[in-house]
Amino acid sequence: MDLRQRNNVNIMGTGASTLVFSHGFGCNQAMWNYLAPHFLERFRVVLYDLVGAGLSDLSAYDKDKYSTLDGYARDLNQIIDAHAAGPVILVGHSVSAMIGTLADRQAPGRIAAHVMIGPSPRYIDEDGYIGGFKRSDIEDLLDTLDSNYLGWSSAMAPVIMGAPDQPALGEELTKSFCRTEPDIAKQFARVTFMSDNRQDVIGLATPVLILQSTDDLIAPVAVGEYLHSVLPNSTYHLVDNVGHCPHMSAPQACAAAMDSFLAPWAAARAS
Amino acid sequence: MRRGQLHVPADLFDSAACALAVTSEDGTLVQTNARFSEWLGFSAAEQCGKRFQDLLTMGGRIFHQTHLAPMLRMHGSVTEVKLDMLHRDGHKITVLLNGNKREQADATVYDLALFGTTDRDKYERELLNARNLAEALLQEKTATELALQQAQAELREAYAIAQRRALFAEQMVAIVSHDLKNPLTAIRMASDFLSRSERTAKERQLLGHIGQSSERAQRMIADLLDFTQARVGQGISIKALPLDLHGVIHRTVDELRVAFPKATLEHHAEGHGDACLDADRVQQIIGNLVANSVAYGDLQRPIRITSRLGVGGCEVAVHNHGAAIPEALLAGLFEPMTRGTDQGSDVRSVGLGLYIVRELAKVHGGDVAVSSCATGGTTFTVTFQNT
Repeated sequence: MDLRQRNNVNIMGTGASTLVFSHGFGCNQAMWNYLAPHFLERFRVVLYDLVGAGLSDLSAYDKDKYSTLDGYARDLNQIIDAHAAGPVILVGHSVSAMIGTLADRQAPGRIAAHVMIGPSPRYIDEDGYIGGFKRSDIEDLLDTLDSNYLGWSSAMAPVIMGAPDQPALGEELTKSFCRTEPDIAKQFARVTFMSDNRQDVIGLATPVLILQSTDDLIAPVAVGEYLHSVLPNSTYHLVDNVGHCPHMSAPQACAAAMDSFLAPWAAARAS
Repeated sequence: MRRGQLHVPADLFDSAACALAVTSEDGTLVQTNARFSEWLGFSAAEQCGKRFQDLLTMGGRIFHQTHLAPMLRMHGSVTEVKLDMLHRDGHKITVLLNGNKREQADATVYDLALFGTTDRDKYERELLNARNLAEALLQEKTATELALQQAQAELREAYAIAQRRALFAEQMVAIVSHDLKNPLTAIRMASDFLSRSERTAKERQLLGHIGQSSERAQRMIADLLDFTQARVGQGISIKALPLDLHGVIHRTVDELRVAFPKATLEHHAEGHGDACLDADRVQQIIGNLVANSVAYGDLQRPIRITSRLGVGGCEVAVHNHGAAIPEALLAGLFEPMTRGTDQGSDVRSVGLGLYIVRELAKVHGGDVAVSSCATGGTTFTVTFQNT
């Protein structure tokens, strides 16, 4: 199996360290278009689609393998082994922050640092832990997913009406943004929102930058604070942002926080 | 006139046949039309400061965060997204949403148009349910087919095992029969040889016993072979050829007189016509039926063998006097391992004779019948149809 094809791996930028960007539930690597270009002069940058998302090879989607986040974490380690050079910093959005944590647990020492954007180790409230959701909310989401294939079934016809400025990455990726095969979307939603990774994050010693939005329904401030309290080597940074995608809606603020966190690994900016 | 929310005539905006809203980038409602307020039950004042996503169900809010908002930002538009909104009193309103990003001088806003879709939603849900049902049924069918295939495979294996066993039994009986034939032939040849010289009456009698017993043993072996073939093997095979039935039966009866010297055998030939049968097998039928009559009949009175030729077919019958066959035995008389009475245990084989008669009749396309009463005696009739 060709990894590049399986995960639609895109490599760009130059630097002694590698930033691997891993997107979250719902969309694909095109969501990094606002943030990733900022690092191309100082880092080797690896972008990829989780299997089942974006332009990944759908024939590689194995229901059993991806019935837990561990399957995704194994993929991530394979991509790191094949395409990263030097120290690896994983930039994971949402569920990918947990996929990165699991990858770190699977191969300790391979990931030098994590940037977690809107991370949450557990979405469902439980025994004094506030994740922000009830189990029925997730069922409600599955119902909404069932009602919205976002053009999937109409043979990939682009849903773009207007033509806003398209960022540099492949046009296909932006066209198919958030468009996922319905059965895969539902299983990934279940795996994402039903998982409990608290035992995996507690005590993880790798340096972590937590980018927490001030107003995020999916990953509320309380969850970011919880993570900061259980990750011994973490830096907590609050980004003034409404919504779950600060890397799209507040990319400058994210980039600034990352620049200072990534300083030890950054190559001198080419002048 | 310049296009823009502030310049749309207020009455047209308010009275549009869909709910309209303008939000800021973070979803905060900037302006809504009267239809929007009417559908959701909030007054304009109550809506002030609310975000569009706050009016969605929880599933819709997660979807908004993970799909809708990123798409609006990336594509600048979304179309036909189905969402459940919450009315002020808590009930759900299903809407289709179209949204468009619009750059203003100082800020970016989103224009949203909402269409009520309650009835269409019901229809779509029915379609979805039907699809899910169809998928479940398909899954069930696939599982059933798999189970069936497995059962068939097991059955095939069991059949193969049974066939191997049958073949083994057949081969074993064939080998044993073959091995027994040689010593029996040697016994017969030796007794024949001894008979040629001058013998005392007692010696002749003993030699006669030896000859008859070895012939009986040979018949038993032949029966056993046929039984094995009929019951567990490929079936009894015959070679049917045109024959002179009366002549064949006549010769057979002559031979049987030698085998059963204590019995009186009479042959009656009736009618004229053609017959197409396996001569050896016909001999075997008569031999078995006569052996049966000798074993169970009254030997003081003659045993009558009749061969009958006619237009529709032919038949052979063997009749003996004596006690009737008990009613209880008649039903299973032609099944293997059935004995008439205990009396026959020293004169009969293991009870294959009548079974083989019936099998032989069947492979000729015929059948065998029996009638038995104390006064009339017992008659076995084998009927062959002309084909």
